Amino acid sequence: MRRPLFAATAAAALLLSGCSASDSDAGGDEVAWSYTSGDGETYTAAEIPTRIIAEASSAKALMEFGIEPIGIWASNPIEEDVSLQGVDFSGIEVLGEEWGKIDVAAAAELQPDLIVGDWWPVEEAYSGLEAGVEEESKKLAELAPVVGPAQSDSVVTLIEGYAELAETLGADPDQIAESRTAFDAAVADFQAATAEKPGLTALAVSPYDTSYAIAVPEHAPELLDFQQWGLNVIDPETPDPDFPYWETLSMENADKYQPDLLLFDDRWHPGNEDTLAAAPISSSITAFAAGQTTTWPGYWLHTYSDYASELTRLAGVIRSADENLVQE
Amino acid sequence: MTAVLTVSGQRVLAHRRIRLVAAGLALTAAGLFWLAIAIGGELLPPVEVLTGLTGTGEPSTVFIVRELRLPRAAAALLIGLALGAAGTLFQRVLGNPLASPDFLGVTAGAGTATVTAIVFGASSALLLPTAALAGGALTAMLIYLFAWRRGISAYRFILVGVGVATFAQSITSYLVARAEMRDAREALTWLVGSVGMASPEALTLLAVTMALFIPAAVYASRVLRALELGDATALVLGSRTQRDRVLVLGIGVVLIAVATAAAGPIAFIAMLAGPLARLLLRRAGQSIAAAALMGAVLLQTADLLAQHALPWPVSTGVVTGVFGAPYIAWTLITAARRSDLR
Amino acid sequence: MTATAVVPPASMARSSVRAGVLLAATGGLVLLALLSLTLGSRDVAPFEALRVFTDPTPSADATVIREMRLPRTLIAIGVGAALAVSGAILQSLARNPLADAGVFGINAGAAAAVVVSAFVFGSMPVSGSVWFAFLGAGATTVAVYVIAAVGREGATPVKLALAGVCITALCGSVTSALVLADPDALEELRMWQVGALGGRYFPVLTQVAPFLVIGLVLSLCTGRILNLLSLGEDLARGLGVRTGAARAGLFALVAVLCGAATAACGPIVFVGLMVPHAARLITGPDYRWILAYSAVLGPALMLGADIIGRLVLPGGEIPVGVVIGVLGAPAFVLLVRYRNLVEL
Repeated sequence: MRRPLFAATAAAALLLSGCSASDSDAGGDEVAWSYTSGDGETYTAAEIPTRIIAEASSAKALMEFGIEPIGIWASNPIEEDVSLQGVDFSGIEVLGEEWGKIDVAAAAELQPDLIVGDWWPVEEAYSGLEAGVEEESKKLAELAPVVGPAQSDSVVTLIEGYAELAETLGADPDQIAESRTAFDAAVADFQAATAEKPGLTALAVSPYDTSYAIAVPEHAPELLDFQQWGLNVIDPETPDPDFPYWETLSMENADKYQPDLLLFDDRWHPGNEDTLAAAPISSSITAFAAGQTTTWPGYWLHTYSDYASELTRLAGVIRSADENLVQE
Repeated sequence: MTAVLTVSGQRVLAHRRIRLVAAGLALTAAGLFWLAIAIGGELLPPVEVLTGLTGTGEPSTVFIVRELRLPRAAAALLIGLALGAAGTLFQRVLGNPLASPDFLGVTAGAGTATVTAIVFGASSALLLPTAALAGGALTAMLIYLFAWRRGISAYRFILVGVGVATFAQSITSYLVARAEMRDAREALTWLVGSVGMASPEALTLLAVTMALFIPAAVYASRVLRALELGDATALVLGSRTQRDRVLVLGIGVVLIAVATAAAGPIAFIAMLAGPLARLLLRRAGQSIAAAALMGAVLLQTADLLAQHALPWPVSTGVVTGVFGAPYIAWTLITAARRSDLR
Repeated sequence: MTATAVVPPASMARSSVRAGVLLAATGGLVLLALLSLTLGSRDVAPFEALRVFTDPTPSADATVIREMRLPRTLIAIGVGAALAVSGAILQSLARNPLADAGVFGINAGAAAAVVVSAFVFGSMPVSGSVWFAFLGAGATTVAVYVIAAVGREGATPVKLALAGVCITALCGSVTSALVLADPDALEELRMWQVGALGGRYFPVLTQVAPFLVIGLVLSLCTGRILNLLSLGEDLARGLGVRTGAARAGLFALVAVLCGAATAACGPIVFVGLMVPHAARLITGPDYRWILAYSAVLGPALMLGADIIGRLVLPGGEIPVGVVIGVLGAPAFVLLVRYRNLVEL
């Protein structure tokens, strides 16, 4: 189905050899760049791509390693997106700030030679190109190969994927190693903190007006990481059958699980904490009544530095938490 | 002068006016089609549009013209035609300006089916249009079944339609409220409706449907003329009214379902096209062709505005809603005679 | 007494029957209210549930029943009555069996106002967004009436309905534009798309209660005027009713009732549409009885639907708006099929 690349204008200069391994032997002689993407295919080019367009989170991930894209697109207004804070996108062309709408004509003017986004294994699509977006957005894929590491059960794997991609694109290995060292230190600190409080239980929640949603760690990579590193994040017993990312309780049953530490989804914070506070049942959630609450980074981490600072913050919260708040 | 015109003389004048209006609308639609291809960051000169279309121009222009803009321009044209035709068929069969398929439950039913598919994880390019098609047709059948009682009364049809629409909408709202963020966003985007969502498959289907519709329209306009003489007269003239009504409504359902499948439930075009065309036709009566072309002109204009009027592009449905609503308000306020509303 | 001219004399004999049935219906409503306190997604034994009102010991069960189910039940009663009574008034005003808060764009107006407020101020709990919903509902009602009333023949039924449809679509478009651009607004709208009673506690009740109570008391006194208006414009005027002022006043009442109801629990369809029809089936055309029956049957429908919604999903809830939509639509369709609704 994939149409011939619209690289024609740029082709002479950039010498892209093709879009996937299967048909790359035609281009032949030299392979300066090669990368195995989340979709399992290996992409190659005769020169290292330099004109990159990336989904904003992916852009942030690459920029941590010094690879700066020329254009980005986002699904939400960039200023308001909690996952896009602390990064300077100035000088980079913004091609869209609403889900499903990418200005592909402007993207074409940028003459990209690589497009980067997360690969979503379940949807079988890269970020921003999935089902339901405008047809024009999907044509972005005709401008250049789309690559990116796959979403998986660990944020660390995802970030490592970006590090690997950045390295093929010429990132300084020392810089990557440096970020990694700082991150490893934060992980060690987090593990030390959880080791100090072996009895501490945590619950990741997202309260709404009429319901109380509990995140299922199995489908939340960062929560799986936390469990890996010694934090006892409670696994809810009966995830919603049609949507197993959450167990949705009626607000009347919000005291079903009693953790020592309550973690609010930070994408909706502090609104969701106010919402819970307005519900009278919150007085029966021990951790909430005792004020032992904080936030967790909900499904958005893409960089070592964000992850490290979240881990450091959480380690502090864990150290000062009362692990015997809830008596069994 | 007018007093001495014979009946046949009036009919000749009416036909001339219909042809004139239709030709004017067709020219406008063609102009808007060209504009949709030419407008972008900067206006492409006509020559570049042409070379872009034929594939002989600059590769980048060819890409922009043929890959990005042509499908969208064609979608706006075809969907507008389908919506305008479907709306006027419904309104005329049921004899009421409120009886457009977007006010009845047909569009809502298509919406519910599609949102169900989205929320339950369907993501194939073919499945969503199929769901919309099935949902729209099924809803129309249900409405007809429930409204049938020794024949179809327009008023009962509208009431049942509103009931079914509410039924469908409450299920849709529930699905959206329960869905996870990503799915909810996809569902809501679809529910607003945008010409840009039309996939190549949906466009092909739409083009085939519109081609088949031309002979159907000739039949429909004959039926409608008979119906509009009043049921009693039509019966006397030997027209099998009920069967004809069902058939014409059926044609309308297919059109609206195919259009909705391609671009979501875009508000107001179906409802507005017929009455607006009628304003242009004055006393010349009604014309399906004029209503369809009016639908195309409206939707093309709306999509141009949606893409270029604001600093950021919005979905077509946002524009048709925002501009359609004040239009109805204006008609209501200025309508000197009640008959203008019918 | 002008009213005797309106009410056929035979109905005087039937008054006691009507009062009796009304009393029985009220008894049923009390029973439903008790059920609403005892049944829910949280398992509490029925007698235990009622005991918490005499026993002050704090417990999670007591909190749920006293502070969550009690306000919820009261809100359901108030909102059900407000929607049903305002529906009866609207149907008489618009001479249109379709008239209710949904058709007049009032629900859409409230939702749009909430979404705009979330877009501007960020998301907020229900007790904050209530005021915006109120504002939106009130503004839409006024807008619909003004649009319909300007022009030659004033607020005719067709113009009212069209104005309602157009305001609904306008609000819908504004809402969609904001929602697709801003995740905060999306989150807020998801909650406001469908009416629900969960998540509404005492603060919400105390915010809307004054409007509901005053609006309901005033509405129940409008029966005579509605009876006169139903005789037709000319006859009513002949009997000394200042029809223009009466219509404007009645519309203001509707704005207050629908605004408060929508603010309290979001868009609820069909209550305002169906209950007055059901009331009319029982009582005949006298609006004084229709209003009284609406004020009892409306809450009964709300409570019944809410209880069903709490019990269907184990552990979770289906919002009352969905239950009413799903149960109400077939009932409505049957009503349309077998009753001649055109003649009001």
